[in-house]
Amino acid sequence: MRCPRVLLPVLALTLVLVAAPPAQGQGEVSRGRGFGARLLQSLVDGVQFGVIIAVTAVGLSLLFGTIHLINFAHGEFVTIGAAFAFFLNVSAAGPGWHLIPAAAAAVVFGALLGAAVDRGLWRPLRARGTGLINLFIVTIGLSLLLRHVVLVLFGARPASFAQYDIQNAIRLGAIGITPRDLTVTLLSVAVLVGVAVLLQRTRTGTAVRAVSVNRDLAEASGIDVQRVVLVVWILSGALAALGGVFYGLVEIITWDMGFKLLLLMFAGIILGGLGSAYGAMVGSLVIGIVAQVSTLWFPVDLQYAWALLVLIVILLVRPEGILGRPERTG
Amino acid sequence: MSADHTPVLAGDDIVAGYLPGVDVLRGCSVRVGPGELVGVIGPNGAGKSTLIKAVFGLLRVRGGTVRLLGEDVTGRPAHEQVRRGVGYVPQLQNVFPTLTVEENLRMGIYLRPKEYARRSAAMAELFPVLATRRKQKAGAMSGGERQMLAMARALMTEPRLLLLDEPSAGLSPVHQDHVFDRVKEINGAGVAVLMVEQNARRCLQICDRGYVLDQGRNAYTGTGERLLHDEKVIELYLGTLARVR
Ligand SMILES: Nc1ncnc2c1ncn2[C@@H]1O[C@H](COP(=O)(O)OP(=O)(O)OP(=O)(O)O)[C@@H](O)[C@H]1O
Ligand SMILES: [Mg+2]
Repeated sequence: MRCPRVLLPVLALTLVLVAAPPAQGQGEVSRGRGFGARLLQSLVDGVQFGVIIAVTAVGLSLLFGTIHLINFAHGEFVTIGAAFAFFLNVSAAGPGWHLIPAAAAAVVFGALLGAAVDRGLWRPLRARGTGLINLFIVTIGLSLLLRHVVLVLFGARPASFAQYDIQNAIRLGAIGITPRDLTVTLLSVAVLVGVAVLLQRTRTGTAVRAVSVNRDLAEASGIDVQRVVLVVWILSGALAALGGVFYGLVEIITWDMGFKLLLLMFAGIILGGLGSAYGAMVGSLVIGIVAQVSTLWFPVDLQYAWALLVLIVILLVRPEGILGRPERTG
Repeated sequence: MSADHTPVLAGDDIVAGYLPGVDVLRGCSVRVGPGELVGVIGPNGAGKSTLIKAVFGLLRVRGGTVRLLGEDVTGRPAHEQVRRGVGYVPQLQNVFPTLTVEENLRMGIYLRPKEYARRSAAMAELFPVLATRRKQKAGAMSGGERQMLAMARALMTEPRLLLLDEPSAGLSPVHQDHVFDRVKEINGAGVAVLMVEQNARRCLQICDRGYVLDQGRNAYTGTGERLLHDEKVIELYLGTLARVR
């Protein structure tokens, strides 16, 4: 069974945090509530943050697994998803749709964008035998380009969607969560389960796993590898856009939101084991929880830094990541 | 022209390589007739695996032609050749280790998923060991079992031509015998086979014809029997032990 191995680092982390209660009187809002209650609340926030990172990171991980591409522009796919939904939902120039159809359209747009960059850019580059480092540099350029296109079109001011903006939290004992956040969390989990089912139970999903582990053998089995890669790009684009809408919904939409999340996505997929979709999910969850729980003791500005520190510590103990397999020797 | 005499595979003057400007194959030819069992032997690095990859379409051909049943398939990708009835078992990494035995076999018949049940039953008959391991990860199998799975995966489509790259490599003598028996059995059922083998004498003993490859060129060609007793081939490729027998 894999579960104990996954739970171990999470458990260890939780223990350390509980064993070292923070100095009194830090947060203004949480003053007066017990430490246990605040820990529980930040765990809930962390899970919510983690599953959203996971939704965005799975596609990044699948791309690395199948074509070994480190897609630096993946964050922009996240931003574009949120910005496109914003355009349809809020923008004066847009049609003013309700958020739900706007979000659905953004996911379709993300999928099309994924297909377009594969067909228009990556596939020709692969066909010419462009090296991985060069491809990585191209993704950096694409990231810069897309980010600034968004900046021009969307502007530098943060914004929110028209619906579900301000809600009262439902109280469940010590923890509080708004219906919006609860829905986003549950939807994220459902999407992740859906991706797992797709990979594990469908013919195309099995082909994606086959291409990830041995591309030539997949080709030799009659699998059109280029088509499988296209499917992965479509999935990756759609999930990134959806994650962008989710993040914009629970936090806020900014022109560089995806870029800021990118570091956490990378941390999540490295932590979980590069190229493994399930690793990406577990790793992202850990990163999300660490980032939120760290705010119990430390300034919010440092929460990403703590997530990265945990990444380093875990990699020192398990270089292959939580779900990664050690390199085969023989 | 009668279809019976069209070679299943005809590769002529093939030039191919991995690095720009470095040709590993420098004008290599190979022919496999219907129902034939053809062996390819030669020293390490001669280009045997490269030849198979080039005719199969995993490696781009820089010169020469590849014909399958008379149809020019030069430069076509491998997955199209699978559709045309070619099966391939690579020398190394010939199963998907993270997939189960069943998933490996399903990938073998990826193009025609409806035929999975029928074909996997046929494979279980040919390789009984697989039937009991359906849910096991291929990576957890022994070398011999893995070789059986690799062959089964390649046979799922009922290919007309099977390309085998060193099927007996790294196996114990008992397992080697087992593999050669299976190859003969498969060939006996009418599948044309092109087999690269390190175990040159065993290979030539069971082959209809053989090619000796050296430095990317055909060095010798002939019936298995003839090559087996050719003084030069013995001296250069089979070793002096062969003469004693
Ligand atoms: N992926 C590769 N990239 C670059 N060069 C390669 C690659 N694969 C093989 N070569 C080179 O091509 C030449 C022929 O290799 P090939 O694998 O075809 O030999 P072989 O006859 O199959 O040898 P063996 O009996 O060891 O399997 C060798 O010099 C090898 O170094
Ligand atoms: Mg070889």
